[in-house]
Amino acid sequence: MLSPALVIASKEAIDGLRDFRSVISSLFYALMGPLIVGLVSVAVRERAGSTLVLAGMMSVFTLVAAFAGGMNVAMDTIAGERERRSLVPLLLNPVSRLDVALGKWLTVSFFAITGLVVNILAFAFVFASAGMHLTLDWRHALLIGAVGVLPLALLAASAQLLISTVCRTIKEAQTYLSLIVFLPMSLGMLLVFFPASRQPWCRFLPVLGQQLQLQSLVDGSATAIFEPLGLGCVTLAVAILLWSAAANQLKRDDIVYGN
Amino acid sequence: MITVQNLRKCFAGRPAVTDFSFHAPDGAITGLLGSNGAGKSTTLRMICGVLEPDSGEIAVDHLTHRDGPLTRRHRLGALLDHSGIYSRLTVRENLLYFGRLHGMAPDMLNARVDSVIAALGLESIAGRRTGGFSLGERMKTALGRALLHGPQNLLLDEPTNGLDVPTVRSLRALLRRLRDAGTCIVFSSHLLDEVSALCDRVVVISEGRLIAEGTPAELCALTQTATLEDAFVQLTCQTEACPC
Repeated sequence: MLSPALVIASKEAIDGLRDFRSVISSLFYALMGPLIVGLVSVAVRERAGSTLVLAGMMSVFTLVAAFAGGMNVAMDTIAGERERRSLVPLLLNPVSRLDVALGKWLTVSFFAITGLVVNILAFAFVFASAGMHLTLDWRHALLIGAVGVLPLALLAASAQLLISTVCRTIKEAQTYLSLIVFLPMSLGMLLVFFPASRQPWCRFLPVLGQQLQLQSLVDGSATAIFEPLGLGCVTLAVAILLWSAAANQLKRDDIVYGN
Repeated sequence: MITVQNLRKCFAGRPAVTDFSFHAPDGAITGLLGSNGAGKSTTLRMICGVLEPDSGEIAVDHLTHRDGPLTRRHRLGALLDHSGIYSRLTVRENLLYFGRLHGMAPDMLNARVDSVIAALGLESIAGRRTGGFSLGERMKTALGRALLHGPQNLLLDEPTNGLDVPTVRSLRALLRRLRDAGTCIVFSSHLLDEVSALCDRVVVISEGRLIAEGTPAELCALTQTATLEDAFVQLTCQTEACPC
């Protein structure tokens, strides 16, 4: 028999996959970056250094994909429950509110990681099709991907779950969640316009750290092994903190019954 | 069996329920009667454990808050004012989901789902996604969810809202069958005819306090009125600003 959190997660996953409009929207976000980079690669073909520029663009779009993959599911999963008045019937079951928060977080994380994986695969396809060859250290790339970047999808899921919990309607959640998708983009811009902001401690800040890790991966600069490990730990800690805050919100009367 | 003692709940300093006590025995339908905002729904929510009371004691089959709300919920089925269902799941999938959350074994769950679908006349729509259902179809699905795990105690907040006459009749028959089988049913409604027809005992609540309790005949005798409606109006007019 599945634990209550897994029962909730599997139901939310089925529900999310049946929401055709949101699946299309998440796919669009995941493929938007590879599509743009593919088009630009045609324009700048055979120009010196173009591969590095395009690979640099990849880092921003990959982080956007981590935030966008679970966005639609996140807004439906608690703000949607509140809007359709199905949160109370769910809480009437012999299931703790921690299980409810965990089950929903697992689903949002699943969609966020899927968005990230689809994005990376599409980039690999675009780079191969355009004949662009990055000289990557694959072991290093795997380390950064698994330990540095993957936890960002979990952090994005936690942040989105928290926002969804305090929103009363899907529309309200959509307003805030679509804004945080642009967080990686704005930090990317910050790095471009203010290169001085690349302080060593920035490599351990969630979002900014992942961006720097990915950039160092594509430009081939050396990265100490503890950096992605430390970044992964900090990102996971923030993810757990945000998830706990979301689970705590479910104890509030005005969240459960507020209109 | 549900026993509520000295229950109290405030929202933003404003009391919604004040020292409210009542007892709903097994094998009886207890009607909870009160005007809008009297505290009926808040009381039902606290019994279910969705809201925590500020003070007071709630016992469901002798299980109190000290036994934890999760233990109590195994023995409760509820259809409250929030009765949303999942529009992208079918009726059967909605029921299966809630059965799994109750920890029902797959074989038993499938049999129970079939039996609830048959009892509520949902066979023709059991395989359809619930998005686009009429209010009555949604209410029946939500009611099926409350009955699925065969709870010993059933809390129903205005369960006939949106139901057509044949469904109301079959619901009444179903509730009588459950009562005869020993289930404790607490039933909140504004429809006094329905309460008269269905309830063995009536608890009148006004401004969060117990005003009177007894059988419909006892309440009529107490107020020296001919109908439950007159009795209710007389009882609540003593405490509320009465428009009549």
